[in-house]
Amino acid sequence: MQQEASVRGEPPGKAKMEFRQGSALRQLWETNLEVFQRDKMALFGLFIFAVFAIVAVFAPQIAPNDPLTPLKNNEGDWIKDAMPYWLAQPGEDEAEGYVNNFLLGTTNIGRDIYSQLIHGSRSALLVGFSAAAAVAVIGTVVGLLAGYYGGWVDAILMRAADVAFGIPFIPFIIVVSAFLDPSIWNVVVAMAALLWRDTGRVIRSQVLVIKEQAFVSAARVSGASDLRIIFVYIAPSILPLSFLYGSFAIAWAILTEASVSFLGFSDPETISWGFMLQDAFNSLALSREAFYWIVPPGLCIMLTVMAGFFIGRGYEEVLFPRLRRM
Amino acid sequence: MTILSIRDLKVNYATQDGTVQAVDGVSLDLEEGQHLGLIGESGCGKTTLLKAIVQVLPRNGEIVSGEIKFQGMDLLKLPPAEMRQLRWREIATIPQASMDSLNPVQRVGSQLTKLLRVRGGYHKKAARKRAVDLFDMVGLDTERLMHYPHEFSGGMKQRAVIAMALALEPSLLIADEPVTALDVIVQHQILEVLRQLERELNLTVMLITHDISVVAQVCDSVSVMYAGRIVEEARSEPFFTSPAHPYSLGLQQAFPNLARPRDVLVSIEGYPPDLREPPSGCRFAERCPFVQDDCHETDPQLEAVGDGRLAACLRSSEMDSLRIQAEDPTLWQNVEVAQYPHPKPLPHKEGGASVAETNGGTAASASPSLPVGEGAGGWGDESSDILLEMNDVSKQFKIGGGLSGLLRGDKEQTVYAVNNISFTLRRGESLGLAGESGCGKSTTGKLLVKLLDASQGSIVFDGDDLSAVDDRELLGFRSRVQLMFQNPFEALNPRFTLYRSLTEPLIIHGWKDESERLQRVVETLDRVNLRPAEVFLDKYPHQLSGGQLQRVVLARALVLHPDFLVADEPVSMLDVSVRAGILNTTRRLARELGLATVYISHDLSLLQYTCDRIAIMYLGEIVEIGPSNEVINNPQHPYTQALIAAVPVPDPTMENPPLRIREGVPRPTEQFIGCPFAQRCPEAMEACLEIRPPVIGDERGHQAQCHLYGEHRESPPLNRDAELAR
Repeated sequence: MQQEASVRGEPPGKAKMEFRQGSALRQLWETNLEVFQRDKMALFGLFIFAVFAIVAVFAPQIAPNDPLTPLKNNEGDWIKDAMPYWLAQPGEDEAEGYVNNFLLGTTNIGRDIYSQLIHGSRSALLVGFSAAAAVAVIGTVVGLLAGYYGGWVDAILMRAADVAFGIPFIPFIIVVSAFLDPSIWNVVVAMAALLWRDTGRVIRSQVLVIKEQAFVSAARVSGASDLRIIFVYIAPSILPLSFLYGSFAIAWAILTEASVSFLGFSDPETISWGFMLQDAFNSLALSREAFYWIVPPGLCIMLTVMAGFFIGRGYEEVLFPRLRRM
Repeated sequence: MTILSIRDLKVNYATQDGTVQAVDGVSLDLEEGQHLGLIGESGCGKTTLLKAIVQVLPRNGEIVSGEIKFQGMDLLKLPPAEMRQLRWREIATIPQASMDSLNPVQRVGSQLTKLLRVRGGYHKKAARKRAVDLFDMVGLDTERLMHYPHEFSGGMKQRAVIAMALALEPSLLIADEPVTALDVIVQHQILEVLRQLERELNLTVMLITHDISVVAQVCDSVSVMYAGRIVEEARSEPFFTSPAHPYSLGLQQAFPNLARPRDVLVSIEGYPPDLREPPSGCRFAERCPFVQDDCHETDPQLEAVGDGRLAACLRSSEMDSLRIQAEDPTLWQNVEVAQYPHPKPLPHKEGGASVAETNGGTAASASPSLPVGEGAGGWGDESSDILLEMNDVSKQFKIGGGLSGLLRGDKEQTVYAVNNISFTLRRGESLGLAGESGCGKSTTGKLLVKLLDASQGSIVFDGDDLSAVDDRELLGFRSRVQLMFQNPFEALNPRFTLYRSLTEPLIIHGWKDESERLQRVVETLDRVNLRPAEVFLDKYPHQLSGGQLQRVVLARALVLHPDFLVADEPVSMLDVSVRAGILNTTRRLARELGLATVYISHDLSLLQYTCDRIAIMYLGEIVEIGPSNEVINNPQHPYTQALIAAVPVPDPTMENPPLRIREGVPRPTEQFIGCPFAQRCPEAMEACLEIRPPVIGDERGHQAQCHLYGEHRESPPLNRDAELAR
């Protein structure tokens, strides 16, 4: 019944749309808009990303100190393990010969934790977005080609996906890091090399469904080329799926980067939240109850990962409306 | 004795966009032994009524008011546990698509005995005996009890479902579209089973369907539902001879009928009212050709109109004269009359003259010449302009091969989809391809538009062999050949506006100028009767009804002004009331544009209505081809004879003859030395198994591929038992 009603005539309350050509890009924009209009959680996720993005861009301006240079007091000694100024004993800083204006204190070699946190957002977002982009792009292309062309193309790509599914992820990254120079890009390379598998599979299945629909045959009968069919007819329908997997990939990448850094396979010259945690762990911050060193990077990781999943959820609800009723 | 009595039943569905009053004040009485047919188009509340009776409404459905009494018990006041006891034991239902309701991992027999033991209290042995009896009753081999559902064909599954429904000897059987989606021969056999059971068991049946011919064959009384109400109630005979409601009148004229073909089918334009806010007056008023001012204000009630029937129409007193008026197809809004009379190439076609008089007479005299097919004698005329030639075309598919097949160890199999078919098509001619599902008719359609390439043989389109075209020539071919699809809801890109969908072919074929494109699109929409065209340009497919969508699909096919159109089941997904409209438009435009058309359909009456010639396909071969009326009225091939005999006639006085054909289409992976139909053929002879039947034709181009007419016609008949024993 409901279907019947919605098929016929104008849906109530829907204003008459102005005449336009409805380009694929515009369609895509509308789908994206719909995601964030419908789902306030997704909007919140977007807001988190926006805040971190601004912080990352203006990190040198926002951070009071250089994150890697140890701070020194009047006598030229490192200001080790200073408490945040709101925790420290009043007068202690004067006695040690410095002014305590550290929001989150300093590390065991006198680096400013707050500045590290600010700069950490740079590597987090860099890794997150570039890995997500790589995963989404590779996965989408693989899915489109395998699904559309089928046959041997499909067989080869999907067997490659099987291989990728068979490789354990974290050990793979460790091996990659061992071969390459330490760099945050190792995570991106490793993710791009492995995680396209999920995106590719899902998109392939979707392409298989769309490909069989009559409007694609209609396009072919009209003389549309393979490329036109792939990019004008099929791609717009599956791009929201790529965005879905892309936003999940952001979260995974940030999480992975943190894990890899925590395991000590990161570049010591680049500050990331995972690196901060590892640093804190190695210098026994836990035993000194220096929560101000451990909690903030953890919180930041959690927030960005959450943001990725919130946005992903938003896409899921628009793509699979049945989830909404659950 | 009244078994079921419904009084003023109202059922609402709560939806996001408001409350849908799906059933709105239905009253109905069902006597013991009565066979009631409930007909109406989709969305009129038939299935909701069924669900309300057995109380299995979806969660958002609610019975607002009314009374349902079954053998004196008020079902609405019955506790759920007792209602559960009633279902199946007293009220058995065969739900829609029930063939899929068999459990795929259990043997059919054990599903049946389990039902008998759990619900019926049978003992093990008694249950087994009863299962055997039931299978016998519905005409299934009792060995089949040990089989799994996937080993059953569609018709066999439907028989098994009927057996299960009747297992506990219910007093009432409600069947929802029991034969929809079945092939015509299977449909015929199922109807026969139902008819026979009605007689033997004195069953009370309520049959829900959209197909009035099914009702004519199985039911003795009819209720017509429209927009949540019953608008007419009558015994079958008066209903089919003289319907008492304008909607029933329209439905009858919308149905093609093999026995009494109509020259113009009517289409009830428009669609049912929005049941969220039903109109205050008559619900059919908007689509009714006899509408008066007070129809919009006064809500007509069901009233006795003589002959023991009831109708809800303000003008029912004038119905006798309205019925005569309704015979005139131009009365129904938007009836399209072909610009040129439908060419009847056969001189002896009865009623051909009347077409010209009533419909096309003036138009034909106004137009200087017919584009094609002037008069008789065109068939086999070699000089006429041949557009398309199929020469011994075959198509095979390989299944189970490839890398994954290799790894899994599947053996590669070949499906022989199309085998050595040949025919020619002239400009402006229409050819129908008919046959059961899986006979290769859709594959042939795809070969014709080069969505698939032929494995063997050649397809020559306007002098060019399709297997040898280069890319540029292919693009030229694409602009001249178009395809119309079965499912209009899938045939348009849901993300494109209609303008975008229609302009795509033009862009592909290099129409650079936007305003020219717009002009062509508007012109084409206008052609297919979507007016004013501008309103439709910025709509999305989901905003249109099925009938409108199919017009858009037609418009997209015509936007490039092609020479050749393949229509694959163009109306099978649409409601009966709008089918004729699409067919009429297609037929008119084919005439106007001199378009050659191939219609693919399982519905012979529809093909007879639209096509000059009909080809009957069986297992990838054309077994008979010829002028439509010749093939329908004088079928030569036993398969064609069976197909035609199986089509239900919308006339309760005419019972379809029993079929002699055997069930079960062979697998398309089989290859035959002799005639592929021999296994099922009632006329089969020894020669049929060994020798390919010859193609025998007459001078009018009516050809059949059968030994009955060839040199082996004296071959001794096949001994079935001996064959079975092998």
